[in-house]
Amino acid sequence: MSAFHRLAALALPFTLTAALHAQATPAGPAPASAPDLSDPEVAHVAVTANSIDIDLAKFAQTRSHNAAVKQFAATMITDHSAVNTQAAALAKKLGVTPADNAVSQSLQSGAAQARKSLEPLSGAAFDRAYIAREVAYHQAVLDAIDKVLIPTTENAELKKLLEDVRPAVATHLEHAKQLHTQLAAPAKTGQ
Amino acid sequence: MILWLLLLLASGPVPKTHTVEIRGMEFHPAELTVTVGDTVVWINHDIVPHTATASTSIKWDTGQLTQDQTGRYLARKAGVAHYVCALHPTMKGTLVIRKE
Repeated sequence: MSAFHRLAALALPFTLTAALHAQATPAGPAPASAPDLSDPEVAHVAVTANSIDIDLAKFAQTRSHNAAVKQFAATMITDHSAVNTQAAALAKKLGVTPADNAVSQSLQSGAAQARKSLEPLSGAAFDRAYIAREVAYHQAVLDAIDKVLIPTTENAELKKLLEDVRPAVATHLEHAKQLHTQLAAPAKTGQ
Repeated sequence: MILWLLLLLASGPVPKTHTVEIRGMEFHPAELTVTVGDTVVWINHDIVPHTATASTSIKWDTGQLTQDQTGRYLARKAGVAHYVCALHPTMKGTLVIRKE
């Protein structure tokens, strides 16, 4: 009914990616059964999705000793916070008050799982696992934007926000992939 | 009047201000040629913050520019400067500064 419902499609890729953080293969095109969420719930999902990456980046900053990884994490915090601010502003403008829901809780559960799998790691192993997770996460988000959100969104303002966010997600993905390659190189010589 | 014209000619070309727009996670134009004395202004149209940072023999750093903020650099030295966004190192630009 509302264009905000399209954002619900983000939930499954995020959840899958969080659960399968090491996998670079995204879930594919539009999920067959997008959750039936109200607009306030979908707005909550969008904010939650950004917050998850911010929280993990904050954790990475405390755990990593790699300057490039820490810089990447700092950029994730800065950028996803900026996107969250815009998303919240749009939700407010459209009269949507974010409301907690099962999908948001599922996202948080997936994020907690990702955090749990990273928790015992340290040093280069942590850096590789964190960046691999970021590659998969951003690939899944990009796929959701390209295959589901932009093509199907009717609300002009929401569509523009998605189009504005899309290059940032693509740049994050490219950045993460470069780091992933860089981190793989010393690992071969170190073991 | 003639004296004023002579002074104007002797003073050389008037410095220009050039604009580089940051949008879609790219610098537009990605390569820009200016003259010593010119000013380059970067304006960020993206939601996320950016910088224009050169750390070669010619150095400058606009600092973080949030949406619609601008940063500027006065070109004082001739040369070729490759710069990046410090937050997004895949974003690259080149400033060619000609001596006049």
